[in-house]
Amino acid sequence: MSKGVHVKFSNVSKRFRTPKGDWYQALKELNFEIQRGEFVALVGPTGCGKSTALTLLAGLEQSSIGEVSVDGTAVKDIDIRTGFVFQHDATFPWMSVANNVGAGPKFRGLDPKEYRPLVQKWIAKVGLVGFEKHYPHQLSGGMKKRVALAQALINEPQLLLMDEPFSALDVQTRSIMTDELMALWETTGSTVLFVTHDLEEAIALADRVIVLTAGPAQVKADFKIELARPRKAREIRFTEEFLKIYQNIWEVLRDEVDIAYQRQLIAPSEK
Amino acid sequence: MVEDFLSDAEIKRKQTKHRINVHSLQLAVAVALLGSWQILADKKILDPFFYGRPSGVMHQLGVWIQHGTSIGSIWVNAWVTLYEATYGFLAGVILGIIFGVFLARNPTAAEIFAPYIKVSNSIPRVVLGSIFVLWLGLGSISKVALAFVLVFFPVFFNAFQGTREADNKLIANARLLGASKRQVTTKIVFPSALSWITASMHVSFGFALIGAIVGEFLGAQRGLGLLIATAQGNFNPNGVYAAMLLIAIMALTAEWLITKLEDRLLKWRPTQVSGTEH
Repeated sequence: MSKGVHVKFSNVSKRFRTPKGDWYQALKELNFEIQRGEFVALVGPTGCGKSTALTLLAGLEQSSIGEVSVDGTAVKDIDIRTGFVFQHDATFPWMSVANNVGAGPKFRGLDPKEYRPLVQKWIAKVGLVGFEKHYPHQLSGGMKKRVALAQALINEPQLLLMDEPFSALDVQTRSIMTDELMALWETTGSTVLFVTHDLEEAIALADRVIVLTAGPAQVKADFKIELARPRKAREIRFTEEFLKIYQNIWEVLRDEVDIAYQRQLIAPSEK
Repeated sequence: MVEDFLSDAEIKRKQTKHRINVHSLQLAVAVALLGSWQILADKKILDPFFYGRPSGVMHQLGVWIQHGTSIGSIWVNAWVTLYEATYGFLAGVILGIIFGVFLARNPTAAEIFAPYIKVSNSIPRVVLGSIFVLWLGLGSISKVALAFVLVFFPVFFNAFQGTREADNKLIANARLLGASKRQVTTKIVFPSALSWITASMHVSFGFALIGAIVGEFLGAQRGLGLLIATAQGNFNPNGVYAAMLLIAIMALTAEWLITKLEDRLLKWRPTQVSGTEH
């Protein structure tokens, strides 16, 4: 796969109408690039606009000013080469596990004969063999997340966007899922933009960690994570190297977290 | 303390006992009500000429079944009412779903039609029965039409609301997975509106029966509604009750079928957790 810039945010600003009728600015002149095949984590305090950046990149929303581009082309609408894993469960409750995983190929009009083996392969990859006929409500939170991962990855997205995908899981399940995501990603080689507020998770997974300011979000700092791959997320977080990186980034992030927290105290009703 | 759970057999025995108790008390209520009605009527405290009595109702049913009614076989009359209600119900459900989902998915169209829908919903619809008899005659079609308008609106409103309440996150996910607008409607929005739609179907079969029967009151050649009207005209309360009994059987059967259909369509829903340890 050719190297080069895959994703580019140039001077991107985005504002929303609040329910009260005022404007809320989520992003302000956001600039960054992602290389093809890179795993980038976007961290920042709660409510800083991280998720907004993702929805712009996914084509679910349009930027107010500036341009988000993928492969040099401005994102105007949903691009099916982009995969998305949501923060909260977005599996289809009326579809079995197998149908959920096969939803992408089905929507894209592929022949069931062709994609059924693929569905089986992905179900096996995420460790859900034997649960093909189960409905989402019969699964645990971690299992639903695996369905969501398989659902996104079966389409072999060139760009995978993940919006705090594991934040709703308990801590143990979360670290297991981090490892599993790592293992899956290392086989696909797609570009990943991963939004999280968990710095440990970000460092364990990513090649680069971009720290955003308290909203409206701007890039505050950009760290290269030089930890060797393949990584074991569950063990790496106890190494000295890891702790050092963690400290460096936390120094930068802490101020922003404080700012965001102070604002919440001043204006508790505003979001 | 030693753990000492109840054994499965014991739990089962308890549950069976509870069920038998409930059923026997239910039976006792029916016996008490019908029995006192019968006794009061026999003792002429309730005048059986106006109020009828259970034995009279059973006798009336027996006569209808053995010798037919004044307007033909009881089965033919029951069948006429049943199919009028059923056709009206099916038409109302199908069109209600189509219009509800369509308008909810097309906000501009919804805005344009909103005042007309409000106005037509505010008309007391039973009055339309007279219009339908004038337009469509004394045959079954006027009854089907009345049943239809009674069913259409509740199904329409529920389908509309259910579609509006479809989870945006699921719609976004489907679009990102490659779904066209049409696929979003059929594969995402419709299934998520289904629980609203089936909820409206439970009430609306009752409306369909009302439509058919009121239509028959207003002018018909056959049907249970006409049978009731005839019995009323002849000061025959037992005849009214007997026809009511048949209608109740139809309504309960339909309700049972709709529940079966609902269970089938919504088998993906979490089952309600019930029956903790007694």
